[in-house]
Amino acid sequence: MSSKFTKRPVALVLGLALSFAAVGGVAMAAVDAGKVITSRIDNYKKIGKAFKDINDGLKADAPDAKAIAAQAKTIKDLSGHIPSWFPKGTGPETGLKTRAKADIWTDWATFAASAKGLQTESAKLETIAKGGDIDAIKAQVKATGGACKTCHDKFRGPEIK
Amino acid sequence: MSDAAPRTALWDGPTRLFHWALVALILTAWLSAGKSMEVHKLSGYAVLGLVVFRLWWGVAGGSTARFVSFLKGPKATLAYAAGLGSRKSGETAGHNPLGAWSVVAMIALIAVQAGLGLFATDIDGIESGPLSDKVDFDTGRLFSDWHELAFRLLQGLIGLHLVAIAFYAVWKRENLIGAMITGARRFGTAVTPLKKAPLWSLVVGVLLAVVAAYAIAKGFRIKF
Repeated sequence: MSSKFTKRPVALVLGLALSFAAVGGVAMAAVDAGKVITSRIDNYKKIGKAFKDINDGLKADAPDAKAIAAQAKTIKDLSGHIPSWFPKGTGPETGLKTRAKADIWTDWATFAASAKGLQTESAKLETIAKGGDIDAIKAQVKATGGACKTCHDKFRGPEIK
Repeated sequence: MSDAAPRTALWDGPTRLFHWALVALILTAWLSAGKSMEVHKLSGYAVLGLVVFRLWWGVAGGSTARFVSFLKGPKATLAYAAGLGSRKSGETAGHNPLGAWSVVAMIALIAVQAGLGLFATDIDGIESGPLSDKVDFDTGRLFSDWHELAFRLLQGLIGLHLVAIAFYAVWKRENLIGAMITGARRFGTAVTPLKKAPLWSLVVGVLLAVVAAYAIAKGFRIKF
C-alpha cells in the first residue's frame, strides 16, 4: 500500500516536472532578443579586439607573426558562428539598441555569404601569418578588413550614440 | 580708419602660411574622417607638425607671433573686453588681448584633439592611430569618443573665431581676413610694425615641425 502511495507522488512530480520543462522549452525557443543582441555585440567586440591586436602587432619593428596567426584563428573561429548570432526576431523591429539592419533577414543568402567571406579571408590570414611573410600578412589583413567592410556596408546601420 | 594712412606690416609670411595651411588641413581631416582614413591620418600628422612650428614661432618667430608680445594678464584682457562695444578700432598691430587667448585656446585644443586621435581605434579594430597599440581596445574606443568630442569643442572655438572676425568687420570696420592674407593693413594711429624673424629661425622651425610630424606618424618608432 505504502509503495503505491509513494510511487504516485513521484510519478506526479515527474509528470509535473516534465510538463514544466516542456513549457520552459517553448519559452526558451522564443528568442530572448535582448540577450542575443548583448552576446552578439560581445562576440563582435572579440573580433574587433583580435583585429586591433593584429594591427597593433604590425606596428612593431619586428611583428610577431605567430601571435598574428593566433588572432587570425580567433577571428576565423568566431566568424564561422556569425549567422547563428542573428536568429529571427533580433533585428531593429525589437526596438532594442542594435545596428543590425532588417536586410540581414530579407537577404539572408547574401548575409550568410558575407559572413562566410570573413571566415575565408581570416583563414587565409592565419595560413599566411604562419608563413611569417610580413608584407604578405599586411596585404591579407587589408583583405580581411575588406571582408568585414563588405558586410558592414550592407547590413550594419549607423552608429548609435 | 583713414584710407590715406600707409599700410603697416603686421603678420609675417610664415604666420600667414601657418594659418591658412591649418585651415586647409583641418577641413581635410574633418571631411576625410571615417571615409578616407589614410588622408585623415596624414592631415592629422601635418596639423601636429604645424602646431610644433607655431610653438617654435611663438618664441622665435616674428614679433607679432611671439607669445610674450601678445599674451596679456586678466586685467588688460578685461579692460580690452570692456571696450569691445565701442566702434573705435583697437589699433594694435597683432593679436588684441582677447584674441590672444582665443589663439592660445585654439592651438592648445588642436594639439589635444589631434593628439587624442593618435590613440584612437575604430569600432572594428581596423583603423587606428599610430600609438593605439599602447592602449587596449576599449580604451582606444574611449580615445575615439574623446577625439570626436574635442572636435566638437574645436568647431565651437572656430565658430567663435569666425563670429569675432565678422564682428570686427561690421562693427569696427577692421578687415582682419585681408590682413591675414596680405600681411599688412592700414591703421588709424601709429602702431609698432612687425619685426621679422631671421631666416635661420624659420629653417629651424620647419625642421622641428617636419621631424615631429614624421616621428608622430611613426608612433615614435624611428630607427636611425
